[in-house]
Amino acid sequence: MSNTKKYWKGIEELQETPEFLNHKQNEFAEELPVDKFLGDDKLVNTNTNRRDFLKVLGFSVTAASLAACETPVRKAIPYLNKPEEITPGVANYYASSYWDGQDFASVVVKTREARPIKVDGNELCSITSGGSTARVQASVLSLYDSNRLRKPQMNGKEAEWSTVDKEVKSKLEATAQRGGNIRILTSTIISPSIKAAVAEFTIAYPTTQVVTYDAVSLKAIADAHLATHGKAMIPTYQFDKADFILGIGCDFLTNWLSPVEYARQYASKRKLSKDKKEMSRHVQIESLLSLTGSNADKRVALKPSQLGLAAISIYNKLTGSSISTAATDKDNAISEVAKELASYKGKALVVCGINDPAIQQVVNAINTYLGAYGNTINTDVIDYTRQGNDAAVANLVSEMNAGSVDALIIHGTNPVYSLANGDAFKTALSKVDLSISLSDVADETASACKIIAPNSHFLESWSDANPRTGHYTLGQPVINPLGSTREALVSLLNWAGNTTNARDYIAKYWEVMLYATSAEIAGFSTFWNKTLNAGLLVKSTEIVTNSVPTVPPAPSSTPAISDIKPVADLFAAGSSIVSSAKSAKGIEVVIYEKTGLGWGGQANNPWLQELPDPVTKVTWDNYVLMNPDEMREKGFNVLMGQEQFSDTVDVTIGTKKLSLPAVAQPGLPKGVVAIAVGYGRTAAGKTANGIGANAFSLVGTSGGYYQFNVSGASISGSTGKYNIAATQTHHTMMGRQIVKETTLEEYKKDSKAGNEDLLLATNLKNVGKDGKAKPQELDLWQNFEYKNHFWNMAIDLNSCIGCGSCVVSCTAENNVPVVGKDEVRRSREMHWMRIDRYFTSSMNEEVAEKDGVGAIDKFLKMEVPATDDSLEVVFQPVMCQHCNQAPCETVCPVLATTHSLEGLNQMTYNRCIGTRYCANNCPYKVRRFNWFRYNENEAFDFNMYDDMGKMVLNPDVTVRSRGVMEKCSMCVQRIQAGKLSAKKKSERPADGSIKTACQQACPTNAITFGDFNDANSAVRKAWNDERKYQLLEEVGTQPSVYYLTKVRNKPATTKA
Amino acid sequence: MSKQIIYGVFDDEEVLISSAKALRGQGVKIRDVFSPFPIHGLDPVIGIKPTRLSNAAFFYGMFGTSMAVLMTWYMMIHDWPMNVGGKPSFTWFENMPAFIPVTFELTVFCAAHGMVLSYLLVNKIYPGRKAHNPDPRSTDDMFIMEIQTVDNKKVAGSEIISVLRNTGAIEINQKEL
Amino acid sequence: MSHQSASVREPLILGEKTYHQITEDIAKPIEGKANNLFKILFTISALLALWGVACFSYTIGTGIGVWGLNKTVGWAWDITNFVWWVGIGHAGTLISAILLLFRQRWRMSINRSAEAMTIFAVICAALFPVMHMGRVWLAYWVLPLPNQFGSLWVNFNSPLLWDVFAISTYFTVSLVFWYTGLIPDFATIRDRQVKPKMKRIYSILSFGWSGSAKQWSRFEEVSLVLAGLSTPLVLSVHTIVSMDFATSVIPGWHTTIFPPYFVAGAVFSGFAMVLTLLIIMRKVLHLEDYITIAHVESMNKIIIITGSIVGVAYLTELFVSWYSGVEYEQYAFLNRATGPYWWSYWSMMTCNVITPQLFWFKKIRKSLMATFIISIFVNIGMWFERFVIIVTSLHRDYLPSSWTMFHPTFIDIGIFLGTIGIFFTLFLLFSRTFPVIALNELKTILKSTSENPKPPHH
Repeated sequence: MSNTKKYWKGIEELQETPEFLNHKQNEFAEELPVDKFLGDDKLVNTNTNRRDFLKVLGFSVTAASLAACETPVRKAIPYLNKPEEITPGVANYYASSYWDGQDFASVVVKTREARPIKVDGNELCSITSGGSTARVQASVLSLYDSNRLRKPQMNGKEAEWSTVDKEVKSKLEATAQRGGNIRILTSTIISPSIKAAVAEFTIAYPTTQVVTYDAVSLKAIADAHLATHGKAMIPTYQFDKADFILGIGCDFLTNWLSPVEYARQYASKRKLSKDKKEMSRHVQIESLLSLTGSNADKRVALKPSQLGLAAISIYNKLTGSSISTAATDKDNAISEVAKELASYKGKALVVCGINDPAIQQVVNAINTYLGAYGNTINTDVIDYTRQGNDAAVANLVSEMNAGSVDALIIHGTNPVYSLANGDAFKTALSKVDLSISLSDVADETASACKIIAPNSHFLESWSDANPRTGHYTLGQPVINPLGSTREALVSLLNWAGNTTNARDYIAKYWEVMLYATSAEIAGFSTFWNKTLNAGLLVKSTEIVTNSVPTVPPAPSSTPAISDIKPVADLFAAGSSIVSSAKSAKGIEVVIYEKTGLGWGGQANNPWLQELPDPVTKVTWDNYVLMNPDEMREKGFNVLMGQEQFSDTVDVTIGTKKLSLPAVAQPGLPKGVVAIAVGYGRTAAGKTANGIGANAFSLVGTSGGYYQFNVSGASISGSTGKYNIAATQTHHTMMGRQIVKETTLEEYKKDSKAGNEDLLLATNLKNVGKDGKAKPQELDLWQNFEYKNHFWNMAIDLNSCIGCGSCVVSCTAENNVPVVGKDEVRRSREMHWMRIDRYFTSSMNEEVAEKDGVGAIDKFLKMEVPATDDSLEVVFQPVMCQHCNQAPCETVCPVLATTHSLEGLNQMTYNRCIGTRYCANNCPYKVRRFNWFRYNENEAFDFNMYDDMGKMVLNPDVTVRSRGVMEKCSMCVQRIQAGKLSAKKKSERPADGSIKTACQQACPTNAITFGDFNDANSAVRKAWNDERKYQLLEEVGTQPSVYYLTKVRNKPATTKA
Repeated sequence: MSKQIIYGVFDDEEVLISSAKALRGQGVKIRDVFSPFPIHGLDPVIGIKPTRLSNAAFFYGMFGTSMAVLMTWYMMIHDWPMNVGGKPSFTWFENMPAFIPVTFELTVFCAAHGMVLSYLLVNKIYPGRKAHNPDPRSTDDMFIMEIQTVDNKKVAGSEIISVLRNTGAIEINQKEL
Repeated sequence: MSHQSASVREPLILGEKTYHQITEDIAKPIEGKANNLFKILFTISALLALWGVACFSYTIGTGIGVWGLNKTVGWAWDITNFVWWVGIGHAGTLISAILLLFRQRWRMSINRSAEAMTIFAVICAALFPVMHMGRVWLAYWVLPLPNQFGSLWVNFNSPLLWDVFAISTYFTVSLVFWYTGLIPDFATIRDRQVKPKMKRIYSILSFGWSGSAKQWSRFEEVSLVLAGLSTPLVLSVHTIVSMDFATSVIPGWHTTIFPPYFVAGAVFSGFAMVLTLLIIMRKVLHLEDYITIAHVESMNKIIIITGSIVGVAYLTELFVSWYSGVEYEQYAFLNRATGPYWWSYWSMMTCNVITPQLFWFKKIRKSLMATFIISIFVNIGMWFERFVIIVTSLHRDYLPSSWTMFHPTFIDIGIFLGTIGIFFTLFLLFSRTFPVIALNELKTILKSTSENPKPPHH
């Protein structure tokens, strides 16, 4: 828009005085005395001649350039008074708890110089027991997200808290007086004290009602239990007690209720050893190849609409009852599953992730028949992490549209983004007189609110949590709020007229509610300090919140147990399932959460964006997953790679349309596509904005329940090309012995099954048997011995589920730069450890042999993953193998990489000149080269380039410069720290006292690290395990990292 | 009699050789011969001893070898032995195979350069030195024999000149010293 | 006198030549004025060179990331070009050393320019190992100097370090060998000059050579010994270069056949480049009488031999990979021929194995046009050979999870063209300022190998 303002040269122009008009055209108001000046004969004999001029010029130029040369001074300001607990260079650890409205984790935060740099699981916590998810690991970076608000906002402008509070209070009072409706829209609240605060708020403003909203709702589970067990509850599941696990469309290892816990239980049941040769059997019936499905022993791929039918027919088969059902595509497979199930009565567990009460009722019925309740399902300990009420949210929206909501406080959720009808919510929001968001970012919803009262990050906040019956945790701030933010708790209290701060309020609550009922410890302060130190408190009995003396009852999230009869009518349920299955038409769409990003709360976190999806290995995008065969039929490109462009397609349901690249996903049935939520953000921040499309918009609703499996979609032909970035573009093992695998049956017979010794024929008499020798035995020279420590690592492929939290943990620990989508596309990701994912192919040596396929053809076919149910998936974490005869070391011309006296393959960054010879010569391709100066190149505007983001860097680890090679160091800084602390106690480091970052993050304890020279160390035991093998041992690199064979619980087959 | 230099100019190297033989027959000492290219079979005639540059080259080479051995031993074994890909840095001999290429190259390096340097020295040729061939044509197509009377007390200059003329010198120049 | 042997073999010098005539012919390009063709060629090559410099500066400023490399393919065009240039740099010294030992007279009219080519090629080659470093400014760390933080030395186990010694020795020794031969010829030029400026320049270049009998006898000795030293040196250089690959563990690199196979390939490509240059040069500088069809034919014969050796090496590789029974090895070679880079493999096969075989036909062997075209083919083929060895081995090695592709950027291409520019700029300068043929050496064989020697009458 052109500027229409007019400025006057002066009052004269305004008044248009005659002399102004005369001189108007002249450049200068009056004549300049140029002639006079030049005519001045004195000028001739002035003594400033050319030489002087040049002198002056020269001087000034020199001066200027000298001034320009000055280097910026960087000051390091020491502590004036050193805080008692802080010793520069020594880390402090604080227990806290993580809650993002969906996942709970009790965590331990590592701080350096009062700066949190790492979040790990709290080993004392019986739920997570030290494990953590990628999101928990990444949460520390979200603290330093420069997009977080520094100040409260009113009508889009920054404001002071006082003004905000005044405004809010007055408005609320006014509303309350005229009996206007006040609503609090919140994500599930598991904090007792926030509940209490909400209660106080409700007293202050009686017209308040709380609406709980889970973006990814599981309300059906609770309601199904209300029907079948007379109690709306989400029980806790015990995968470690189940010998047979049947998952129906349920990704319980990554995004279902309590992933860390369930993953741990699941894996613990499947760990094998000399003395434990039994493991659980896991069958997965699902549409999308989820991470859980990838780990299953048997997987049956079904269209989403048929999952319910499968549940019914299983129930019928088991109980002999005849609930009306319909045929599925895989009836035989399903009846086999049912047959198997029958033999596991009391030891089986069936879980279902579909938000449909009818299906959940059937599942409950199956579990009841199998006697799972009480054995593998615990109804005494109830899971509180999903309290959302889908119907209530819908109701709220209509209320708002009707204009009957006068004040709305939105806490911990982002409905404008995550509601299918987000735009509708936005318009409705504009009808609300007082709309307040407690979000710490001006996200899609917050930016539509009149007031933003930014919540503090959990690392800046006091908090407490009650994720499940009898389980209480405390959260403490580990850093002062970086901006002028404050806990939602405080805001609510403040508006309710209570000005106590969060700590005192929580302490008070705990004193009254928890300490009072726990006699064991004398003195509250002791109790408080003890709990705060441990971070948690486990109580045998539930405290009923409505017995709070000081505050009136908080609205209990789970309805109190009523004695209503179980109303489960399986026939009704069955018919509803069948009818909805029948009504399914067109292409079906599965809307799912990615392992890393989840529902997208931390979408702006570059670590999560760059973490490859465990199954597709794609980063930085969401996409339409399709069956490869179907894609070939449609003429879409199924290949991945730098210059392999995916076809963009439009997925249309009614008026909703998403335009995304199509990516091939073996194991996905034809006629089904899958799209991940968490992308398509518009106001999350520079990292997430504009990536992908928002799949929440396709979420359906039936009977008041969000449906994440929807049908009636249509898919356009290719509308364009799009380049996705995957860290792995080749998906099969090409018949190589990379991940060694066997079946339980064979393993029981011979614990070396699938791991037969690789013997090389030699003409040596002294080695091996009849001249055949293992590669390790063949040596040209005597080896170095490691006299003190010899650090080794063992990875149990049977426990690794491929979740990727180790990768994020490694990134956080070792300052691994984020390089962004385009660099990942060029296969230049910097992750020090990766998780290789291999699909099985329907072509292999045997088949080739049998069908007489030629070598060329064989290998071409081998590249193509199987698309039928024979498809199996394996995961293999690969980091530097710390070879004891390392090819990389030999070839470095300048000795920049050498072997330490403790068997570590170490990089000397400041000696490296970047010939990349080592990387070429590494058979495992684990070395990473700094192609650019990632931390100072604005093309890489991620956490390392960002002043705020830089604060997350680990001061113990160098930030590598451009042109330097880097790789896994086995967390040498942690080894050093561990050795020092042991030395202080003048003893050798105890086994397990030193943990690598990946090991610490692993929820399933798949990674073991320790000193091989310690005869009783866990890693030494792993070495002696008969499942142990070294990757590519025939190359003779003699790695210090070794793997334990993967064992699938399935009948022996001809090895593939 | 006066000291003088006699230049016999030939246009064919073979003629020059025969003439030289004739002169030697009369006991005339030939100071030097300037030619555009090496004349085979001339050296014995005018009594030039075979050069020993090749022996020098051999010793330079040996020096290179020992230097290489010493360097690899000092740097890899003695001063700061390291575990490089498990290669045995215990003794020089165990690690020796890796040192062969460098040893060979250094040998050749020293031999070649050492020899060429001494070649330049003994030939007294270096940038900026003035050439002292009596006639520019001697680097093109003429072959010039230099005889000094001081070397030939017994034979008279005129004698020499006549021999030269008879044996095919196409021109004869004399220079007073 | 002995003028007879001329009839036995084909004459190596045509026309009626006297010693003086030879001097005249060789000195002409130096004393004459540059023609337009020369000016045009020179401008083009100089511009190319500048372009290369620009691309390289950009690389230094931004990072190796501006090339197409990635975590799996850590070397591609850089080392391909390096090996290619080193290979080309083999013909010169081979001609002047080995052919001297074998007393091959036909070498005399080509060795000078062949050696020049060697030196310029090695210069281009040496650029790449330096340029491909992530931190070029620390390149001197490959020299056996104690590192500034203490007595950290270089790694004598590393083939790259062997390269440092091999290339520097080869370069300096070839240079010295070349210049030793040049000194008397410079003297000849010097003594012809009338312009004082030219005279001064060439008298400096000629080190004051006077051509006395003593000097000549030492000269012959030195040339002989240098030849003796250079012969194993030539063979060692490409052997060591091949060890960069042979001593590694990557399937397709880890091959004991590499040293002989690389040396043969080097001679092969070297002679091809010599032919490419000489066929042009003899025209432009009117040296038809000295660089004759006979010369071209002899070189073509060497091309058939080395080309066939290379071909056999290719087949041996295939056989051994099959016979070894190592699945990685087998796949590596299958992938070369049928994988995503099949085109580079088959271009290599066609250019290096098939085209040289045409030289079995005398007609083609003696045809300048055919020779020129085939020599270009061989140059291309040999570049692809190195690309195939480096990229197609790396891009699919042991773990399929890290298999990927390499795609060059315009910087990769720019730098390569740049070195070609540098090479031709230097060679053109050489052809106008140096005696491009060892004229005095040539005079020694005038009588025996000239078509019609004109003995001086007495």
